[in-house]
Amino acid sequence: MVCRLAWRSIWRNRRRTLITVVSIGFGLGLALFFISWGEGIYSQMIDQVCRMQAGHITLENPEYREAPAVDLIIDDLAGLRSEIEGWPEVDSTKLLVLGQGIAKSAAGNVAAAITGVEPSVESRTSPLARNIVEGTYLDERDRNLVVVGSELARRLNLKVGKKLVITTNDVSGMLVDELCRVKGIFKTGSDELDAYVIQATIGFARRVFRMPKSAATQMAVILKNADEQEEILARIGGILPGSPIVALPWQKVLPEVASYIKVDKGSNWVFQGILIFLILFTIFNTLLMSVLERQREFAVLLAIGTNPATLRFQIFMESVYLGLIGVFLGVALGAAASYTVNIWGIDLSTFLKEGVTVSGFALSTRIYTKLTPKILVALSAIVFGATLILSLIPMRRVSRVSIVDELR
Amino acid sequence: METIVRLENMTKDYGLNRVVTRALRGVDLTLESGEFTAMAGPSGSGKSTLLNIIGGLDRPTSGRVEVEGRDLGLLSSTELSRMRRDRIGFIFQSYSLIPVLTVLENAEYVLMLKGVPAARRAEIVRALLKEVGLEGMESRFPRELSGGQQQRVAIARAIAPEPALVLADEPTANVDSKTADSLLELMRQLNEEKGVTFLFSTHDPEVMRRARRLLLLKDGRISHNGGVGHTLDAD
Repeated sequence: MVCRLAWRSIWRNRRRTLITVVSIGFGLGLALFFISWGEGIYSQMIDQVCRMQAGHITLENPEYREAPAVDLIIDDLAGLRSEIEGWPEVDSTKLLVLGQGIAKSAAGNVAAAITGVEPSVESRTSPLARNIVEGTYLDERDRNLVVVGSELARRLNLKVGKKLVITTNDVSGMLVDELCRVKGIFKTGSDELDAYVIQATIGFARRVFRMPKSAATQMAVILKNADEQEEILARIGGILPGSPIVALPWQKVLPEVASYIKVDKGSNWVFQGILIFLILFTIFNTLLMSVLERQREFAVLLAIGTNPATLRFQIFMESVYLGLIGVFLGVALGAAASYTVNIWGIDLSTFLKEGVTVSGFALSTRIYTKLTPKILVALSAIVFGATLILSLIPMRRVSRVSIVDELR
Repeated sequence: METIVRLENMTKDYGLNRVVTRALRGVDLTLESGEFTAMAGPSGSGKSTLLNIIGGLDRPTSGRVEVEGRDLGLLSSTELSRMRRDRIGFIFQSYSLIPVLTVLENAEYVLMLKGVPAARRAEIVRALLKEVGLEGMESRFPRELSGGQQQRVAIARAIAPEPALVLADEPTANVDSKTADSLLELMRQLNEEKGVTFLFSTHDPEVMRRARRLLLLKDGRISHNGGVGHTLDAD
């Protein structure tokens, strides 16, 4: 009966209760949506960057991260690659040769990152291959053909079909020149990529750097779901012992992106924390007002023999009901909004005409939310738990009701 | 006859801003089981204070208060709460029903506190509501009842746990004279048929006339303790 009394009590002031649960619901829904918005951006960012660069997991020479150089290669990767590609969580793997050099044309010369890629894999996985604005992307049969960034092309006055010379050091430190021709120009929106990167086939890169025919500087593992990174990393670690190869998470390969996400996520949670604080203030106000209004009623209940613990339990149950209704409403609103944006996305290109870059990586302006059960449960539990904690003050207040004073 | 209430040299002081007001001054009183006693006196004479102390809602400044032989001064607040629940019924001037509970739920509330099973509660309370003339109104809410009907629910709530004593603080003050008469008749009937001991305060001479014993309080002291007719006629 105490639960029934608590349930009916919260509906005595129907308007106030409705305002309270709508506030909780709307606030929690907003918090869930914004967190899923942030998670969606991070997820897209990680996916795009990992696909464009060295994967969610990068296999490379253990010394490469300390001092990246083309002589720090990994080789004999066929067996390892075949095994990893057989795992259902893995989308694909790709071999990369990353080196530095100078690109020269009749118009001048600029520093460049020379990236040897497998065009068939790259065109399927990398956003860069889909951002060709002039000419076409590479294919496996290309020998001395390259694609260059739009800014690099502008600086060297390059067009499709024009020649350029790449000067670099091979694995033995010898200076080498290689003549090549522009097959395509890409524009990712990232100043760093567009002004610095030259992509060629991995065969071309091996030849320029005088590498063994099956060698690479990195093997990138691209996952279907980035959240499975830890598990796959551990599994790869299990098959690598004795091999001169190390497996690194993308966070170590791209620390600037990882740091950006960490800082942004932190500030996002602070913002959501403020929102939740405001929601909790509304709940607290309702609970306290509701108790203060019923002092005489509580005095009567105490007078006829109600144990103060029973009254405290009644207030606790009122908080439970308010919290549950509000949280259910919030979950419904937040999940519905997040699900809709997860399916359709929101295109921000109208507001962000110049595009979005993070740590030099261009990102899509169509944002898709990502609401995970973990976020849903955590945030709901925080709001619900805090509601129950807030009820301690009204509960304490009920225990202090002076029967004689209230009945006078 | 069993002694239900015994007060010995009981005083009650209220202090506010170092000014002490003596509400009760050395009250001695004994109530036996089955009594139907009215308590009258001018406002501020100490009627409500006396009821509160006998009911364990307030503690005396000095003196001894016993209910069914138990010294209330020695009971903890939890024991006092249990004593009120099990042995003392309360009827308040302004009915004081729980607005969100139905007639049946209001009347069975104390039985619920005592842990009486739901089916048994309903059985007891339905019979009681029939006795107090509220049969068929079990599922109504207090706002759907007249003042007199609400006070009948309060009476049913007070006697449902079969208390040793029912304390009523001006139970007829908020109803018209006809309703007051019927409520008094009901209380008297419950006193005679069920042996419920009643102690109620009142200002109404007509109500006092229905009592079998009258206590008159003046300046915190009992100035009359005895029969009704002669005293009222003398007034």
